Amino acid sequence: MDHIRNFSIIAHIDHGKSTLADRFIQICGGLSAREMADQVLDSMDLERERGITIKAQSVSLRYPARDGQIYRLNIIDTPGHVDFSYEVSRSLAACEGALLIVDAAQGVEAQSVANCYTAMEQGLEVLPVLNKIDLPSADPERVAREIGDIIGLDASHALHVSAKTGLGIAELLEEIIARIPAPKGQPEGSLKALIIDSWFDNFVGVISLVRVVDGRITPKQKIQVMSTGRVFQVESVGIFTPKRSEQPVLNAGDVGYIIAGIKEIDGAPVGDTFTGADRPGSEALPGFQKIQPRVFAGLFPVNSDDFGNLREALQKLRLNDASLYFEPETSQAMGFGFRCGFLGLLHMEIVQERLEREYNLDLVTTAPTVVYEVLTTSDEVLKIDNPAKLPPSNEIAEIREPIIVAHILTPQDYLGAIITLCIEKRGAQRGLNYAGGQVQLSFELPMSEVVMDFFDRLKSVSRGFASFEYSLERFQAAPLVKLDVLINGEKVDALSAIVHRDQAQYRGRELTVKLKQLIHQQMFEVAIQAAIGSQIIARTTVKALRKNVLAKCYGGDVSRKRKLLEKQKAGKKRMKQVGKVEIPQEAFLAVLQVGKNP
Amino acid sequence: MLAFFSPIPLALYLHIPWCVRKCPYCDFNSHQAHSPLPESAYVDALLRDLEQDLPRVWGRRISSLFIGGGTPSLFSAEALDRLLSGLRARLPLRPDLEITLEANPGTVEQNRFAEFRAIGINRLSIGVQSFNDGQLQQLGRIHDRRAAFAAAEAAHAAGLENFNLDLMFGLPGQTVDQALADIANAVALRPTHLSYYQLTIEPNTAFHHAPPVLPDDEVSDVIQDRARAELARHGYRQYEVSAYAREGWRCQHNLNYWEFGDYLGIGAGAHGKLTDPAAGQIHRLWKLKQPRDYLASAGMRAGIGGDAVIGEADLPVEFLMNALRLIEGVPAALFTERTGLPLAALEPALSQSRERGLLEVDRERLQATDHGLRFLNDLLQGFMSE
Repeated sequence: MDHIRNFSIIAHIDHGKSTLADRFIQICGGLSAREMADQVLDSMDLERERGITIKAQSVSLRYPARDGQIYRLNIIDTPGHVDFSYEVSRSLAACEGALLIVDAAQGVEAQSVANCYTAMEQGLEVLPVLNKIDLPSADPERVAREIGDIIGLDASHALHVSAKTGLGIAELLEEIIARIPAPKGQPEGSLKALIIDSWFDNFVGVISLVRVVDGRITPKQKIQVMSTGRVFQVESVGIFTPKRSEQPVLNAGDVGYIIAGIKEIDGAPVGDTFTGADRPGSEALPGFQKIQPRVFAGLFPVNSDDFGNLREALQKLRLNDASLYFEPETSQAMGFGFRCGFLGLLHMEIVQERLEREYNLDLVTTAPTVVYEVLTTSDEVLKIDNPAKLPPSNEIAEIREPIIVAHILTPQDYLGAIITLCIEKRGAQRGLNYAGGQVQLSFELPMSEVVMDFFDRLKSVSRGFASFEYSLERFQAAPLVKLDVLINGEKVDALSAIVHRDQAQYRGRELTVKLKQLIHQQMFEVAIQAAIGSQIIARTTVKALRKNVLAKCYGGDVSRKRKLLEKQKAGKKRMKQVGKVEIPQEAFLAVLQVGKNP
Repeated sequence: MLAFFSPIPLALYLHIPWCVRKCPYCDFNSHQAHSPLPESAYVDALLRDLEQDLPRVWGRRISSLFIGGGTPSLFSAEALDRLLSGLRARLPLRPDLEITLEANPGTVEQNRFAEFRAIGINRLSIGVQSFNDGQLQQLGRIHDRRAAFAAAEAAHAAGLENFNLDLMFGLPGQTVDQALADIANAVALRPTHLSYYQLTIEPNTAFHHAPPVLPDDEVSDVIQDRARAELARHGYRQYEVSAYAREGWRCQHNLNYWEFGDYLGIGAGAHGKLTDPAAGQIHRLWKLKQPRDYLASAGMRAGIGGDAVIGEADLPVEFLMNALRLIEGVPAALFTERTGLPLAALEPALSQSRERGLLEVDRERLQATDHGLRFLNDLLQGFMSE
C-alpha cells in the first residue's frame, strides 16, 4: 500500500490537464507510441471533438522512481467545466492528493478555485503546478502569488512544467511520490469499496470503477451492494493502463474496475459501497452528496414510436450520470417525452448529443428553464420546472426566482465590461477584491439570466480571460410573467417561457421575429403570436409556400425523381409536427437567442 | 409476391441521344452531336437492343410508341423508316398506333416533316419553349421566334395536325404579360396538345452551376393560373400537372406512364418498367447511358445498365407519384391492378392525406385535391417508407 499514490488533476479547461495525463502515460509506458492518440483519457468521441472531459476516467501507471522502487500511480481525471463540478467531487473522494494545474500565462480561474477548495475540504494534499511554462507570455511568479492570494495555497515552490514539451514532468512524478500520502486502510479488514462510477457495457453489463478502502476483491468473490443488499459474484477485476487490464486482485488502496455480471442498469449505483457478502462491513462509506439539477427542459422523440427507446437510453445514461434527472412529460404540442433536469446548458447539449449518437434517436429539445417557486393564493409553495405548469395567474400570489452568487475572476482590464454585463442581467454586486493581477468579483444574479448565455457573454466581453463559478443562494420574489407563443392561434406549451415583466414586450417581439426566420414556409400561412395572458403583444407571419411539385415526371425519370423526394423528406427530420405546422428543433431553443441586448 | 389479375398495357420508348447543342437547363440524357451522326449504326443498335428485351414481353401488344431524345428529328427519314420497319417486323404494331417523334424547330428538320408523316409517324412534339427571342437566347436555344412559327406551320402543311408544343414559363426575367403572349402565340398555331412546364433548376445542368434569376414564386403562380384559364378558354384542358390537350387528344404514351403501365425503354440511357406476373415482381431496367458504350454493347448483356426489382415498400409512392399527377386521378382499383398490392398497403397515409385535405375523399378514386396537386411532393412524402 505504501507504493500506491491516488491523485486527481484539477485544472480549468485548456490549462493542459489532459495533455499532462497523456505525458504521464507516455513516460510510464502505459501505451505504445502508436496507441497514443492525443488525449487518451477523453474516451468519448464527443469529448475528443469538443476537447473537454465530461466523465471521470482513471488510469493506473507503473512508475519506477529514483529510489529504485516501483510505484503504482492511479490518476483519476476530472472534468473542468462548471457544469460538471459534481463529477469532480466524486473523483476526489478516491484520492489522497490532487495536482492543481494552473496556466502560467493566464493565471487562476474561478472553477479551479472552487474545485481546489473541495479538495482541501476533503483533506487532500494539493500540489500546485505551473504549466505552459514554455509560452513566451508565461509569468510564473505573478501566477504563483495569485495562487497564494486567491486560494491561500503557498505556491512559491510550485513546480514549473510544460506538459506539451515534457519539461519538468520527471521532477513532478518524483514530487508526487514524495508529497502525496500513500492510502490508509485495513488490507485484512472486511471489504469496503466506494463506487466512483458505473457504466453499461453491452457485452459484460455494468462496469464499476471503485476505490478499495478496506480488504480486497478477487474474482469469484461474492460481493454485496450495501444500499440494496443485493449480492453479485465478481467475474473479473482490473485496472486501466489505460487499456482494460485484468488483475488477480484489487487490494486496499487500489483504484480499479469490477465486473460482476450486473445486467440491471441500476445494479451498482454511483456513491454506493461494495462489501463482502460473507463478511459484510458494518457501515457504508460516506457516499456523495445528491446533486440538484438546475436547468430543466423537455426531450421529445421526433418519432413518437421512439418513446420507449428514449426511456431506456436515459436510464442507461443516468447510470453514470447521477445528476441527470428525468420523468415522463406529456405536452399538448409535443406528445409524450421526458422532462429532464441538467446541471447546465452544456450538460444538456451533451446529453442530447449522446442520446442521438450513441442511441440513434432523433430528438427535439424544448427551451431550458430554471426551477421557480410559486406561492399560490392558498398559501401553497409549488416548484415549477416547466413554464407550461404555471398555475393560472389568479391563483398565483407571487413567483420567486432562484438567485445565485457568481464568483468571477478577471484581469482588471475587463472589470468595467463585466460589471455592465452583470447589471444588464439584473445583477447586484456583493463584493470586489483585488488579488495579484486579477480581480475577484461577486454578484448576485437571477439564475435564469445565467443559464441563458451568460457564460458566452462573459467570455466575449473579457476576450476569454474571465472565469466564473456559481452556487445557488435563495429564491426571491420577482415580477415574472408567462410569455406564451401561439402558432396559428393555438398555444404551443413547449414554447412558453417565464420572463421578467419589464422584458416581456421586447422578448415577445424578438421571439416572434426569430421564430419567423426558423419556421420554414409551409402549405399555408403560419401566424406566430406572442401573448401574456390573453393579451397579444407581438405577431409575425410566415407566408404560405405557393407550391411544391415536380414540373416533370416521365417513365425514365422515376428513380431520379424519387431520390429528390427522399432528399426533401430527409430535410424534415428533426421537425416536430405541432398541429399542422412543422416546427424545427431550432425554434424551440429560439427563446435562448433573444434578449441578448435589451 | 405481388398478385396481378389483369393485363398491363405496354408502351415502347426509343431514345435518340443527340442534340445540336445541349441546353443549359436540360438534365436529360443528351449529347452534343458531331456530324455525321452514326444513324445507321444506331438504328442497328436499337433493333439489337429490342431483340434482347423481346422475350420479356412476348405476345404483348404495344399501346403507343414514342421516339424521344435528344433531338430525334436530327435523324433522316430513311434512318427512321428503317427503324420503324424493323420494329414492325419484330412487334405487332396496330395501324392506328400513336407514334410520336420529338422535333425541334429548324429548317432541316421541318423539311422532313412530310417524309416523317409518310413513314408512319403521326404525332410530333415540338420543342418551342418560348416565342420570345430574348428568352430563347437565354435558354440557349438555337432557334428563334420565326423558326418556331415555321415549324408548327410545317407540321400542319405535312398533315401532322396532331402535334404538341413544349412551352416553358417562369423564365429568367419573365413577366406575366410576356408569358401570356407566349400562350396566345401557341394557341394561334392550333396544336392538339400543350406541355407547359415551369423552368426549374436541376442538378448537373449549366444553370445549376450559374443560376439565372428567376421570377419569384408569386409571379410564377399568377402566370400558371392565368395561363390555365386562357388555355381553357381556347379548349385546352389541363389533365396533368404540366399537360393540356384539346378534347380527345391527350398523349396516350404519357398517360401510360402516369397510369403506371409498363414500357420498354430502348436506346442509350433508356429506362423501362416491366411487370413479371409469373414471378410477382415489377422490374426497372435501363441501358448504358453513354452513346459510345451503348453502340458497342447494345443487344448484349453488357449493354444493360441495370435491372432492379421495385421493392414492395416503394411501390405505393412510385405508383402515386405518377397517378396523382393526373388532375382527375385514377380509379382506386387501378392501384391494385398495376402494383399487385391491396389498397390497404396505402394506409395509414391514405386516410391521413384525406384528413389533411390533400386527397379527395371519394373512396372509388385516388385523386389529389387542388391543394394536394400544388403540394404533391408533400403528399407523396407521406407514402414514403422510412
